[in-house]
Amino acid sequence: MKQKQKWKLTTFLNKYKVWFIVIAALIVVCIPLALTTPGVEDFKSQVPTEFNQLEAKKESEVFKNGGIMSTYIATKQISSSSVERIAFLGIAGHVFHADGGVSQFFANSITWFPSLMDGTKITVLLTLFSVTTGIFLSIFLALGKMSKIKPISWFCRGYIFFFRGTPLLMQLYFIWFGIPLIIPALTISDRFLAAWIAFSLNGGAYCAEIIRAAIESIDKGQFEASKAVGLNYRQTMIKVIIPQTYRRLIPPLANEFIMVLKDAALTSIIALKDLSKVTSSIMSSTGEVTVFLLAMIIYLVITAIFSKCFVLLEKKFSLYD
Amino acid sequence: MFMIKTEDLCKNFGELKVLKNCSLSVEQGEVVCLIGPSGAGKSTFLRSLNHLEKITSGKIWVEEVLLDDRIDSVNQIKMSAKERQKSLLEMGMVFQRFNLFPHLTVFENIMLAPMEVRKMKRAEAEVIVRNLLEKVGLSDKADTYPSKLSGGQQQRVAIARALAMQPKMMLFDEPTSALDPELVGEVLQVMKDLAEEGMTMIVVTHEMGFAKEVADRVVFMYEGTILEVDTPEVIFTNPTNERTKAFLNSVLNL
Repeated sequence: MKQKQKWKLTTFLNKYKVWFIVIAALIVVCIPLALTTPGVEDFKSQVPTEFNQLEAKKESEVFKNGGIMSTYIATKQISSSSVERIAFLGIAGHVFHADGGVSQFFANSITWFPSLMDGTKITVLLTLFSVTTGIFLSIFLALGKMSKIKPISWFCRGYIFFFRGTPLLMQLYFIWFGIPLIIPALTISDRFLAAWIAFSLNGGAYCAEIIRAAIESIDKGQFEASKAVGLNYRQTMIKVIIPQTYRRLIPPLANEFIMVLKDAALTSIIALKDLSKVTSSIMSSTGEVTVFLLAMIIYLVITAIFSKCFVLLEKKFSLYD
Repeated sequence: MFMIKTEDLCKNFGELKVLKNCSLSVEQGEVVCLIGPSGAGKSTFLRSLNHLEKITSGKIWVEEVLLDDRIDSVNQIKMSAKERQKSLLEMGMVFQRFNLFPHLTVFENIMLAPMEVRKMKRAEAEVIVRNLLEKVGLSDKADTYPSKLSGGQQQRVAIARALAMQPKMMLFDEPTSALDPELVGEVLQVMKDLAEEGMTMIVVTHEMGFAKEVADRVVFMYEGTILEVDTPEVIFTNPTNERTKAFLNSVLNL
């Protein structure tokens, strides 16, 4: 047993050799950058004279304690309502002008990054939580819909019909605004919790159909063979049918996952500060439109990471082919 | 003493009458081969014995237990699920398309039912599985997944899986029809060994050689009825029914 594990580790190391090298190189490059933090003095020396009298402010740092990169903003009051800003980017002991084009976007990105990350955290957590509970719920819904017991089957049909047939946005409205008015005892005071419940209930209906389709796609011979060796319905499902659906479930569930990740933007109507909400509030407060580019990149990175996970899962479940 | 007996078994698929008053009695230790043209209802007959098809009317006994008594699809006897299950477990079934569980290894395929249904201890079940794998000549394939096996090997695993429930009787539904010709022999050999051990067997087959050599009786079915039941010598050399003659002529004189 021990030998098997050791063998596995070495193949793992071999497989991702390139990535280990890239990460190691990045760490090596980052060390001198981290050691030579540009100071506020460097920045002050670069600010044009008419800005100089005004207060210089260090706006943010990437990686706290020391900081590899930092941005500085110098401001000049033009009139009572308008302000002129010059952004500076401090990196590797130097301070550069960042008042246009790519460099400005880069400098701004660093400024926005921490608050975008807070939004990302909420988006990712909401997606993970609600897809997990949604899948859990959907197994019962799928089996319920296929059940021979009529009331259970009807209930599950009705549930799926309702939650697939009405917009998620309105379900969210209903849970956050509707329920407290109609049944005050069931008021949910936490925005995240409310979003989680709405997304789980909705996702459960969608996943139920995915799971039902997967179960029905299993060869009828598997049911017959199970019956012939004496397995009952429960044993057949748990031991024979459901394990065979795992691999078929991964692609549509990955799809559902990515849909939920982006649908999480809907939570802005109940003022939950997810990635999209943070992006739009940065846009409206600073007037910098380019923040959505950065948000898109973050979305893409998350999607890429989870897609990779799903591909690995699919490989794991297709061992027997 | 009969092992399984049917009386006036009828099965309709809507308007289509697939089985018409089929009566057959199989003795303990007997090997019965069902032959006949396709669409004769051989498979349906076999599957209805095992409750994979619900019969429309008729009676089925398994070892003196009246398992089924239906008139116009209405069950006449109330039997507890447990009792019915007990009688059904006396029958092992082997399918044309093997129907092995693809997500389990050969070993797990055979071990699943004894552990789940018979509630056997793991160690106890393992002994049975090892013996069965040896019997079908696949001891070295225990940890392989079914997709890595040839058709003949898969069918031998399927036979072992059915035997693991220690049935008193085996039903074979065209066990060699989905196999490449060169793989038929190994499966038939396993079945011959079983017959020699005294297992009661009902075999739907197109292998006339096997029927001739192994069967105690051969049943000829045609359009849902049992036309002729006799020893292989009589059926293959001197059949009384014209249909049987025509069928055997077309099959044997290729």
